[in-house]
Amino acid sequence: MSTNVIDTIIDCDIHQRLSSPANLFPYLSSARRRDIEAYGLRFPSVGHLNGGDRGYRHDSWPGGGEMVGSDLELMQQQLLDAYPIEYGILLGQEIRPVGTLPDVDYAADLSRAYNEWMIEHWLEQDDRLRGVLIIPTQSPSRSVEEIDRFAAREDIVGVLVANGSQHPYGNRIYDPIYEACARHSLPLVLHTGGEGTGINGTPTPAGHPSYYVEHRQSRPMGYMAHLASMVFEGLFERFPDLNVVFVEGGYTWLPTYLWRLDADWKGLRSQTPWVVKAPSEYILEHCTFTSQPMELPSPQSQLMTVFEWADASNTLMFASDYPHWDFDSPELSLPKMPPEMARNVFSETARRVFKLPSRVLATA
Amino acid sequence: MPRRIAVKPAREFPPNTREIISVGRQSIGVLNIDGEYFALRNHCPHQGAPLCLGMISGTTLPNEPYTYEYGRENEIITCPWHGWEFEIASGKSIFNPHRVRVRSYEVTVDTPEPESDEFWRPGDEDPTIPTYDVSIEDGWVFVHL
Repeated sequence: MSTNVIDTIIDCDIHQRLSSPANLFPYLSSARRRDIEAYGLRFPSVGHLNGGDRGYRHDSWPGGGEMVGSDLELMQQQLLDAYPIEYGILLGQEIRPVGTLPDVDYAADLSRAYNEWMIEHWLEQDDRLRGVLIIPTQSPSRSVEEIDRFAAREDIVGVLVANGSQHPYGNRIYDPIYEACARHSLPLVLHTGGEGTGINGTPTPAGHPSYYVEHRQSRPMGYMAHLASMVFEGLFERFPDLNVVFVEGGYTWLPTYLWRLDADWKGLRSQTPWVVKAPSEYILEHCTFTSQPMELPSPQSQLMTVFEWADASNTLMFASDYPHWDFDSPELSLPKMPPEMARNVFSETARRVFKLPSRVLATA
Repeated sequence: MPRRIAVKPAREFPPNTREIISVGRQSIGVLNIDGEYFALRNHCPHQGAPLCLGMISGTTLPNEPYTYEYGRENEIITCPWHGWEFEIASGKSIFNPHRVRVRSYEVTVDTPEPESDEFWRPGDEDPTIPTYDVSIEDGWVFVHL
């Protein structure tokens, strides 16, 4: 497909990794360190494979036995310097299932350590990088402590939770988290992960899929459940300034899902009378979605029809997912868009949602 | 040109009963709700269901999240098929409060109702059920089209 002319990019999904769990030791008690040395990080898994080279772009493994995603210089070389990245938003990697751990206090301690490690070793090392705080969703009160601890920092731009969850995210059990997000003007960011692991329920209503490629399809299912929950629990009536970002769960399903929500609401409105606007209005006002991995119809120009249906100029934000194997190139992954839409998708909608000031890119 | 359609004698049309009448190709529901008469087109704009056979009730009022307040008793008719709610007096759908322009059917009384069997489709203008004036004259209930 012909490419868009892009002079600045805000990449909404970049993954940095620990080179070893020992990276977290300076931020943990000696008791926690001893446990991790003996048992590892103990994140539950459903045990399936991933894609590419052990889940990543083959060329993003640094070599010499080093861990992928743990090398800032390589990230700069392959992503931050290779494209006109104005800001890159880090969403972590191995920490994301922290909400699936049964031990709430361990989950909270790990979250804090990971956030401190991210700030010291990534955000403070490259001014283009911004971070999203991991929180232990099992404990809204401990989550609020994490948010309050770091939210004043300019390089912290959101609060991260996983798609896999104990409850759909409109549930009022999470209200303290949303109060903290609203207090600090931080968006809630959902990223795939944690579906069907640890203390969470099954990853799909049909139970556990056998294969990784099937498991990936639980992402939009989870996001649909969270969206319906947020609308019908009145989340956006209760927190009228809250923005929610849905990362890596697809986009083209959105417009037809909005049609479904609106159609059902017309006959069922009286059961949730606090939902005073059509569901699509709440979602289009409060929610944004990242692009990677973009679904590709044939011919690819059909995507533009979906982009119009879903108001892509205001709801779609570019993400590369570097260094994962299903990385989307800023130049090649999206169809040619009208210039104003392209500008919004590649930078301006993310600038609004993450409240990132405009700045002139240093010429590399 | 306005037409007056004789429905039935008022003494034979007691409170909380309804009559479905045919006027040409149109079906119209005439409702006596606690002694007050209303008339609506008996055709839901969604998929053509006989709206005036629906339940007459109140509904839950817009409110703070997680709070229910029931009100507007006998002001709402709910389509018997898919549950779309309409305000009986105006014919305006409840689910689209953004259509704030309140239609006055007194203004349109003189306009012959365009006959249409077309179903409402997504993207069409949002639905309003035609309503008609009802009067009692010489002991008879009249619907004014």
